[in-house]
Amino acid sequence: MSSFSLNLAWRLFKHETRRGELTIILLAIVLAVSSVLSLSLFSERLQSALSTKSAEFIAADRVLSARKPVADAWLEQAQTLELDTAQQVRTRSMVFAKQHMLLAELCAAGPGYPLKGQLKVSDQAFSEGLPTSELPGPGEAWVESRLMQSLALNIGDSLDVGDAAFTVTKVLVSVPDAGFSVFAGDPKVLIPLSGLPATNLTGPGSRVSYSYYFVGDTSVLDEYYTWLRPQLDREIHDWNSVDDDDSPLGRSVQRAEQYFLLASLLAIVLAAVSIAVAAQRYSQRHYDPVAIMKTLGATGRQVKQVYVLQILFISTLGILIGGLIGFLLQQAVVWALAGQLDVSMDAWHWRPVFIAIFTGAVCAFLFSLYPLLKLFSVSPLRVLRRDLGANLSSRAIQFIASGGAIFLLMWAYSQNLQISAILFVSGILLVLALLLVTFGLIWLGRRLGQGKMGAWRLAWARIHRRALDNSVQLISFAITIMLLLVVLVMRNDMVKQWQDQLPQGTPNYFLINISQEQMPNLAEHFNQADVSLDKFYPVVRGRFVAINGEKIRTDISKEEESAGDAGRQGLGREANLTWNTQLQIGSKIVAGRWFDENTSASEEQMPFEVSVEERLAQRLGINLDDTLTFNIGSEVVRVKVTSLRDVNWQSMQPNFFFVIEPRAMAQFVPTYMSSFYLPIDDKPKLTELLQPFASVTLFDVDAQINQLRSIVEQVSVAVEFILVLVLIAGSLVLVAQVQASMDERQQELAILRTLGAKGSLIRWSVICEFVIIGMTAGLMAATFNELSLYLLQTEVFSMQATVHGQFFIIAPISGAIVVACLGGISCWRLLRLNTSHLLRQMV
Amino acid sequence: MTPEKMIVANGISKTVSTAQGQLQILQPISFNVSVGESVAIVGASGSGKSTLLSLLAGLDEVTSGEIFLNGQAMHAMNEEQRAQLRGANVGFIFQSFMLVQSLSAIENIMLPAEIAGTANAKQRALDLLKLVGLDHRASHYPNQLSGGEQQRVAIARAFITQPKVLFADEPTGNLDAANSGKIEQLLFELNRDANTTLILVTHDQELAAKCQRQLHMHAGELTETAELSSIKHALNATQKRG
Repeated sequence: MSSFSLNLAWRLFKHETRRGELTIILLAIVLAVSSVLSLSLFSERLQSALSTKSAEFIAADRVLSARKPVADAWLEQAQTLELDTAQQVRTRSMVFAKQHMLLAELCAAGPGYPLKGQLKVSDQAFSEGLPTSELPGPGEAWVESRLMQSLALNIGDSLDVGDAAFTVTKVLVSVPDAGFSVFAGDPKVLIPLSGLPATNLTGPGSRVSYSYYFVGDTSVLDEYYTWLRPQLDREIHDWNSVDDDDSPLGRSVQRAEQYFLLASLLAIVLAAVSIAVAAQRYSQRHYDPVAIMKTLGATGRQVKQVYVLQILFISTLGILIGGLIGFLLQQAVVWALAGQLDVSMDAWHWRPVFIAIFTGAVCAFLFSLYPLLKLFSVSPLRVLRRDLGANLSSRAIQFIASGGAIFLLMWAYSQNLQISAILFVSGILLVLALLLVTFGLIWLGRRLGQGKMGAWRLAWARIHRRALDNSVQLISFAITIMLLLVVLVMRNDMVKQWQDQLPQGTPNYFLINISQEQMPNLAEHFNQADVSLDKFYPVVRGRFVAINGEKIRTDISKEEESAGDAGRQGLGREANLTWNTQLQIGSKIVAGRWFDENTSASEEQMPFEVSVEERLAQRLGINLDDTLTFNIGSEVVRVKVTSLRDVNWQSMQPNFFFVIEPRAMAQFVPTYMSSFYLPIDDKPKLTELLQPFASVTLFDVDAQINQLRSIVEQVSVAVEFILVLVLIAGSLVLVAQVQASMDERQQELAILRTLGAKGSLIRWSVICEFVIIGMTAGLMAATFNELSLYLLQTEVFSMQATVHGQFFIIAPISGAIVVACLGGISCWRLLRLNTSHLLRQMV
Repeated sequence: MTPEKMIVANGISKTVSTAQGQLQILQPISFNVSVGESVAIVGASGSGKSTLLSLLAGLDEVTSGEIFLNGQAMHAMNEEQRAQLRGANVGFIFQSFMLVQSLSAIENIMLPAEIAGTANAKQRALDLLKLVGLDHRASHYPNQLSGGEQQRVAIARAFITQPKVLFADEPTGNLDAANSGKIEQLLFELNRDANTTLILVTHDQELAAKCQRQLHMHAGELTETAELSSIKHALNATQKRG
């Protein structure tokens, strides 16, 4: 590299930066880098913070569940790898106290449990718990409020479990790995692992599940799993990680992350477009210097070096400033959220930093490639023939380089081919459709623009004359508006759906085991206390025993299913069966059809119909038209699968795996379940409310709902922040576009001005032109926004797609206003210059 | 060895493609320019004088014929080689000055010397700036200079590499009478002092008359009306020899 190139490049860079020539291109790089860095750093930190949080939901990083104890060597291997381990043994058993008995879930925890998250205990039933790092001592048991209530237990009372007796020393308020299921099974009794053998509950024939917990570095955990996997038996063992988190929280966060990803992709695309626009303008402004340099004897190589170095300087500066701003931005958000977000966000990640630098460099180089190639091709002859432009006429390179760069960035950044492809393909469709529309419009304009020479006709004449330039401009306006719409609408829809999911007054308590006789009294009692009860759902407990007559394993409880265990051959020993003719709110039929109420049922018309939850069906291999067999009491009920349902488990509403046609269940006496909302301040009312109904079981999901709601709120704040970033990116593109087009208009303005056209005529003609362009762009953007949203919402975000009619009015109007204002302002700036100055600039 | 002829043109022509087909904008032309000679190419707008200049300076390729600059066969060179040849032998002055807007006066002057990798470019640029009377405006940018000042900077830039031949395209075309006079004076003085060959394109007869030879372009054809100037030239030569 010659010192000439370096010196000249540096000098040009210095002067042009000072004179503001590089502002737009620099801002675009700064924006691309800062948005990518802040968004991905933030999302990475949030993700790792939340996966720490998620780890608490399984009480470890990895859990091995087994139906029999595992070989000691397995645990020794984990210890050799320096993984932290703990174990818990669970079984179900009747527990006895004060001549009462109740089916309980017995949990015997070994030292170290829980490895992640905390147990919460209290001294009083149904009260807020405090975290503890201890476990019950020898001979002690901690029991859940429900059990305290049902067995009328007090602290210090004795509880018989199997052959052993334990003293109740604490109320167990929560365990981290209880799961989000509303019906988390039977009430828990926590005893020390050392106390388990004395109960004699784990002998042959007993149904016991063993959980082994592991915590350590991901790489070590992966190494351990690689070692372990060949020895696992799918029938007996199940390996779980936090990634399998399918809780409502996990899903909300996943969706938010996808949104971050989408928004940052769009911010990148917008920034890249503004780089391309600015680079184009930059290139055109340098045709003369290149022609001069070539005339004065500079070789092609020297010219290339000078300009590639310039781009290098600009990108380096852009990346540095962008990096700094990006870091500060995300730090600000982290600080702002620190008070609200109950997770540590201190972890530092290098990946976003590399991605941001990569993005800045790719944007700067690939998007300026075509303008640069054009610049290099400028002939020295331009010094004599000023009309000579660049010799490079093919735009194929531009399309390939820019399109390829956008797709590459999207893919590299998202590592999600689907989301990238959806955005990319709809982008290309938009471009093609816009080309058609533009040319149609220009053709139409020929007719519309007839008549007296005025602002309107002048505007059409200009649009017509600069058909290709205008279509390019229109396309980039439309894409910008569309991307802004996508981000805005996605955010609105997403936040709305989150809020709808947990509106104020979402039931935070569930009641089950309400007998038919208790039902009216209970309703009356609650009514008097001014607490409104939701609908009563009939429930019958049944054992799911066969699919198409083929017996299935029945020894795994439903509660384990809802804790996320996969690959089970059978369902729980007992399932809650309900019947209904109406589909629950939030549920959706994905295959088959819902019960036809009008079917005139005859007793012979067996089997009856059942609707099965989709994911359970997948897991158990249940298909439409299969016959399922349930044992309900002493009766055998066979039902035919006529539909599969997608159930929104996040709705915190009573949901069921199986909904059976009511006439199939007519002969059974159900118990009922219901739910109600009680503000936290009214918590003391609970005891009074439930006292007359001792056999009714209460579930408290208030804490879970609050946790979910607070996370949703925090993620919403983060989403707002991203929206603002994308808006800035979009505005930058618009400004760059208008500015670039103003350069092209300058000459015409000068001529019109010289010929005596009034400033107002010129200004109005420019405004009319931009109104036409802005409105068309807005309309096209609204149309393609719908298409992209439909694809994104249905294919990527698993949300319900909605139509946004209002944007067909808002987008064209706001497009016209914004673009016309920007055009008007730039035009006003040009018109302030005197004509001779304008003419001189043209020379 | 320096050849006696700075420029030798043998039947050079230029044809361009247009929508209507091939258009010959320069008929085959042959002429020579001696070392140190000043030649004016005159003609009406569109007569082909700028085209001829672009071919002589190696800014464009000839369609046919041969063209030698300082003894080197320019017609056989590609753009890169011609650029190097220009860098080593040629200086330019343009009607529209063609200064790089983002470089200051001194940096514009240094540019050709830096491209050629000449040592102490800055000192030489300062000397030249002084010579054209603009040493106090060294750090000013082109848009801060008047037209006359910009052209003086352009002249200083043209001479910094001590070119063997100087091409000037309407050097006073954008200037008023007073400035034109100053520029002409400066141009011819420097040209004489450095013994540079000067090829000047103009439609200004007065300016053309100051050159030793005049080549007239008309519809792409060249006619030499050199009676007066060649007599002057011959007289000068006789006096020098005498």
